[in-house]
Amino acid sequence: MSDYASADDALGAIEGFEADVDRYLLRLHRTVPAARAMIESFRRDRERHRTHRVRVRRRLGLGASATAAASEAREAPLDLVREAQSTLVYAHAEALPTLDDSVSVGLLLGDMVDLARQLTVIDLWIEAEAARG
Amino acid sequence: MAETRRDFIYRLAKGAGWSAALLGLLDGTVHALPKSEDTDLAILDASLALEHEAIAIYETALQRNLFVPGLRAYAVEFVGDHKGHRDTQIGLAEERGARSAAALSDYHLGGMRSGDAALRRCLEVEIAAQRAYQAVNSQIRAKDYLLTSAFILVDEVRHETVWKRVLGVKIY
Repeated sequence: MSDYASADDALGAIEGFEADVDRYLLRLHRTVPAARAMIESFRRDRERHRTHRVRVRRRLGLGASATAAASEAREAPLDLVREAQSTLVYAHAEALPTLDDSVSVGLLLGDMVDLARQLTVIDLWIEAEAARG
Repeated sequence: MAETRRDFIYRLAKGAGWSAALLGLLDGTVHALPKSEDTDLAILDASLALEHEAIAIYETALQRNLFVPGLRAYAVEFVGDHKGHRDTQIGLAEERGARSAAALSDYHLGGMRSGDAALRRCLEVEIAAQRAYQAVNSQIRAKDYLLTSAFILVDEVRHETVWKRVLGVKIY
């Protein structure tokens, strides 16, 4: 059903995967000027998602997250960025059955929709790069 | 007065036979439904209705050759996804001993005769599917169905995002 034994376990995994993606985004933001507007939009979503998870943790009576701020990745090939983003999207889906709270499910679902949209944007970017050769 | 997106999604869901309770979740007049097998089955039925409509739109557009070559592959991929969603949800309904909603005999697609009309109709149904799944998923009781429905929602977002990009609609 789900890889996570508890909501705390699931939220901790999401925060770890989010940090993985953020490391790549930091690198892309610095090295690919044309992608900056997109990455800044992604970051605004991230900020909202963090706020949602604080709310979810509070509703479920869980402790605060201990995830440290991400440091920039040494490189950010798009296939790895895509893989990290996909892992983050599906971690959200797999977290849902652990929550047992409609409001929390609604919040994480909305975040998952944002992240799935970002994943598709990355897919389209990869396709455009491939078409350019 | 022009129809708002919210009105349009409501109209599509109503036309697909959604119950009053589920329509209430869409228009914000209902905030929660009782967590029950009946609610899960109502959501399954409503979701299937939208999947049937999406399949009809894509199949008709493909049969009429309305997609340009660069977009046809997306249409083939997406109709395949919708068929998978349909079959998965029929299976879930059958596991629960329920009969699932059948496709309608007519989706009024006679006027869909150009590539642009097909793309707009595809985008409409994908937006409706995405909004609908997002609105009702938090009311699902069964954990296996909740997970399946979340995976389906990820596909719907992909479809919507691709067609928005093709039609030049702002994504981010």
